[in-house]
Amino acid sequence: MTLTEKIIARAAGRAAVRPADEVWAAVDLAAMHDSSGPRRIAGTIEQLGGRLWDPERVVLAIDHFAPAANQRHAEIVKLTRDWARSRALPHFYDSIGVMHNILLERGLARPGMLIVGADSHTVTAGAVGALAVGVGATELATVLVTGQMWLRVPPTVLIRFRDPRPAYLTARDMAMTVLRELRADFAIYKAVEYAGPAVDALDLDERAVLANQAIEMGAKNGIVPPSGPLLAQLGPEARAAGRPLAGDADARYEIVHEFALGTVPPLVAAPPNVDNIAAARELSAIEIDRAYVGSCVGGKEDDLREAARILKGRTIRVPLQVTPATSRVLERALHDGTLQTLLEAGAIIQAPGCGACAGLHSGLLAPNERCITTATRNVPGRMGDPSAEIYLASPLTVAASAVTGRITDPRELL
Amino acid sequence: MKRIYEGQAWVVGDHINTDQILPGRYLDRPMADVGQYAMTGLDETFPQKVRPGGVIVAGVNFGCGSSREAAVMALKQAGVAAVIARSFGRIFFRNAINNGFPAAVVAETERITHGDPLRLDLETRTLTDLRTGEVFTLQNLSGISQQILAAGGIVPFTLARLEARR
Repeated sequence: MTLTEKIIARAAGRAAVRPADEVWAAVDLAAMHDSSGPRRIAGTIEQLGGRLWDPERVVLAIDHFAPAANQRHAEIVKLTRDWARSRALPHFYDSIGVMHNILLERGLARPGMLIVGADSHTVTAGAVGALAVGVGATELATVLVTGQMWLRVPPTVLIRFRDPRPAYLTARDMAMTVLRELRADFAIYKAVEYAGPAVDALDLDERAVLANQAIEMGAKNGIVPPSGPLLAQLGPEARAAGRPLAGDADARYEIVHEFALGTVPPLVAAPPNVDNIAAARELSAIEIDRAYVGSCVGGKEDDLREAARILKGRTIRVPLQVTPATSRVLERALHDGTLQTLLEAGAIIQAPGCGACAGLHSGLLAPNERCITTATRNVPGRMGDPSAEIYLASPLTVAASAVTGRITDPRELL
Repeated sequence: MKRIYEGQAWVVGDHINTDQILPGRYLDRPMADVGQYAMTGLDETFPQKVRPGGVIVAGVNFGCGSSREAAVMALKQAGVAAVIARSFGRIFFRNAINNGFPAAVVAETERITHGDPLRLDLETRTLTDLRTGEVFTLQNLSGISQQILAAGGIVPFTLARLEARR
């Protein structure tokens, strides 16, 4: 069995499962936020009897509507906070960062767990080798009451990155390499597993990018089996808990796609879709109005540091907003000097959370405005007006573009 | 639940994202109040123009993107009867079934023209284009999704499961 299959088998109490089997599985962790959480599910939970199956296994974060931009947002934030208090939730994170990143940085997500969240980017927790899937709010409510969800075992697609990665390529470029070749729907209903020497070398923040981007490939989940230093760090506890850490040697993959990174240039996803990908250099005539570093996929510690690598000693030409994914990211950026570099270059720092990526506040785009960003999606209207253009890229490319005012291959500045 | 639906085809393209079905700027609205914004990320006039009982006919990956359940509720409230696509984003599809909203995979949606009168029959698992007379087969649902849809959604389905446990 693949790692995804082994996690499902364990959660379903079966010796083995195969693709297309349907099972009921015991959930290890259920997560939600202020948009998908109490405001959408409180009524359903009451309808289902009103009791949570295990508050210890429930995570709630206020991340979408904080800081509240208007009265409606403020009321949603308050409703969420009041519900968390009334339920005495032990894992409640109030406006200090994005749920997906909190699950990883606080060690709530562990290898081999079955994690379900009411958000499509729940897949991000696959970074530790968990099976993490997104569902809608009402389905999450049923999980919160029963502790179970139904799963159809997905076939696993293996993405193997053969060679080490050049220093100017980030995990985001690796994910875009896959999207460029296989497009945005190749993995519908499938598990995407990542492997290879370039993956073994990735830290947790970088693995989070690969896991996160699986949803943009259409996948049910993205999973990066623990390897390298991360395996040594996370392995013992997972083994002790009886949770799987890797697939079997004879695991069956639906297909294996191999990628070489040696000749891949820094990439950019142009509107209107995540798979509309070109080399940054091919787009160098495109002038931008603003740059944005933030979101669950692009506002992590690594992302701020990569942006600072470019911005050190330089000044930006167009406004650059930075939204750290969590308060811990902000704190670490403060300690290692990253924050000072960003500020000296002229960037501004916003409150931790989903920021402008969720399209709700904190720097929405005006009609026809053009932005380059590390955020998650570039579909028209995602970050404001539908006529605005969103270009997705790595923090290196976004920072380089902020310096020049046009889409820029970061190799020009490295 | 109702098994036969008749309505006009509203044809859209590939990769229609939930951000287009219900733009993020309306995420702060109450769930009962999202129908007036349905599909406005794609076409501002959709809520005014779509006829009650209309059937959205899409290409690949309809409903990809965010897990927002409001995308399904917006279509329902706007009077859309069902969505037919060559493939779906899996969370949207699951949300549709969970809310008793018919969503079905048909391999040949490109043969249907905008405005064609359609008949969707969930009993015989067929979609008929009443203009051309062409009959398409709906891909079968998995066992558990069938049970959830038959129960009218995941809430009544879960209530029955909890009842059976007692």
